[in-house]
Amino acid sequence: MELRRVEESIFKALMILSLMIVVGSLLGVIGIILWNGLPALNIDILTQTGGLYGKGGGILNAIMGSVYLAVGGTVLAFFLSIGIAFYLQKEYSGGTRLSSMTRLCLDILWGTPSIVYGAFGFTILIYFQMRASLLAGIIILALLELPIMTRAMEEVIKTVPQELKEVSYSLGATRLETTLNVVSKQALPGLMTGVLIAFGRGIGDAASIMFTTGYTERIPTSVFDAAASLPLAIFFLLNSPQEEVRQKAYASAVILLLIILAISITTRLLSRKYTKYIIK
Amino acid sequence: MSETHIEIENVNAYYNGNHTLKNISIKIPKKQITAIIGPSGCGKSTLLKCMNRLIDLTDGVTYSGKILIDNEDIFDRKTDVVNIRKKMGLLAQKPIPLPMSIYENIAYGPKIHGLKKKPDLDAIVEKYLKLVGLWEEVKDRLNSPASQLSLGQQQRLCLARGLAVEPEIILCDEPTSALDPVSSQHIEQQLLKLKNDYTIVIVTHNIHQAMRLADYVIHLYLGELVEHGCAKEVFENPKEERTRAYINGTFQTELKVDKELNLKGNVCPYNFVYAKQALHEIGAGKLLKLIVDDPLAVIEVPRGIEADGHEVLSVKQLNQTDWEILVRKK
Repeated sequence: MELRRVEESIFKALMILSLMIVVGSLLGVIGIILWNGLPALNIDILTQTGGLYGKGGGILNAIMGSVYLAVGGTVLAFFLSIGIAFYLQKEYSGGTRLSSMTRLCLDILWGTPSIVYGAFGFTILIYFQMRASLLAGIIILALLELPIMTRAMEEVIKTVPQELKEVSYSLGATRLETTLNVVSKQALPGLMTGVLIAFGRGIGDAASIMFTTGYTERIPTSVFDAAASLPLAIFFLLNSPQEEVRQKAYASAVILLLIILAISITTRLLSRKYTKYIIK
Repeated sequence: MSETHIEIENVNAYYNGNHTLKNISIKIPKKQITAIIGPSGCGKSTLLKCMNRLIDLTDGVTYSGKILIDNEDIFDRKTDVVNIRKKMGLLAQKPIPLPMSIYENIAYGPKIHGLKKKPDLDAIVEKYLKLVGLWEEVKDRLNSPASQLSLGQQQRLCLARGLAVEPEIILCDEPTSALDPVSSQHIEQQLLKLKNDYTIVIVTHNIHQAMRLADYVIHLYLGELVEHGCAKEVFENPKEERTRAYINGTFQTELKVDKELNLKGNVCPYNFVYAKQALHEIGAGKLLKLIVDDPLAVIEVPRGIEADGHEVLSVKQLNQTDWEILVRKK
């Protein structure tokens, strides 16, 4: 009896320890970035370009570039993923070999390092004799986000209770009507989380867009222009020998964090409107 | 027997190789309540799911035979399954509202069948909520989520939702098994009212519910059709020994009764109080036998006892006036 109690408390302690390591590292990361970044954060950084060279200047080009890239990539990936995720359900694909093959491909793509995507995109660009552009970056990011988004969505759609679909069918609804009106409503908060995770991966990725989008001090005006991005800005700024330029790298990291935070909170607020209808 | 509405001919169903429905042939009468009774796993729900082809959605099921509704074979591959289902409202075991508002739950069916105008939809929502007696309770919060209603209200909402597509048949799969006694009574009353306009098929493992509701009874046992006929005949004078055993709860008669209570001559409320007292005195899992002669008590006492969480094993008529209720304490 006594030994069982001891076991119980040892395992509880281990769980709390793992929890503290996770929370601790997150707080550590945020703390160090804020500590270094906040003093360097000023209005110039947010509104000007040309921050790579010495004092003054900002990273507006990188902010805009990153927003264009991540939003474009996420939207593109969303339209592809939602279709795949629904198709992978048994009602549509019938659980065929094609659907399990698709799942395997997605899992492999998920595990593929992003530099490989970058190299792949670069090869294609050279083949068509094109230069690095926002469009190429968006497409590559969409490919990078696709497996994450699809798998997350698929799991969420799978949890929609069979009875709920049967209710809709029993009222004479077709498969499409059931999918659009019932399944997607029930799964909506989960679908939004899937999009959010993918967006986070997209906006934070540097390697895949290094060769496909390039880096420039100008704000892109068309999708065929090269564009800067926040992760690459951090990379270049941190490499600078000048202390004041390196400070700007931390400011960029703060901005990156803030963008992700803002998107998370907006999504949560938006989905709250719909979660109240969900059947538990 | 009145006009036939659903004609089931030689229906067989196999579930992962198990023969779950064995050559079933029955005619289900129009505008009456037909109860399908039998122990769990006897194929009751499968038979019900065949009627609206929801069985198509279950993995590993094959079926054969014919089900004719208005002379249209619903098993025919050429038959439009959407049209079949529109003809039949379904009331499931536990209430399953759609992830929408109360209003949208009712309007969903009419909307997908092409009704778009808001005034028409408003009228339909009001009509069917009134029909199931829910209108007064929800008219001020039509836009709040359906999941906020109580279970009983949700089940009535589901009934209204099914009726809103204007079906001819209502299929009920143990519609009160998740509800409290008062809500169950509500649903039962609705069904009795609705049988004037609809053909109702109800699957139930609750013999008393079948006795209260059914005009026609089908007894299934291990996928086999044991007996079917008018409720009065089947319940009072079953032809088959298995039906008699099921109705009388013969499976329980070998059990040792721990306490016997004769409540003859008492009216219903006293019966209930005495029964509760007696249950208080005996230990958990023990059996109590009650003898009552108030007809109301035959219905109300088992219901009240079930609401307290005890198990009513059987209710058996002993003679012209007396009934025996067998209860197992929780």
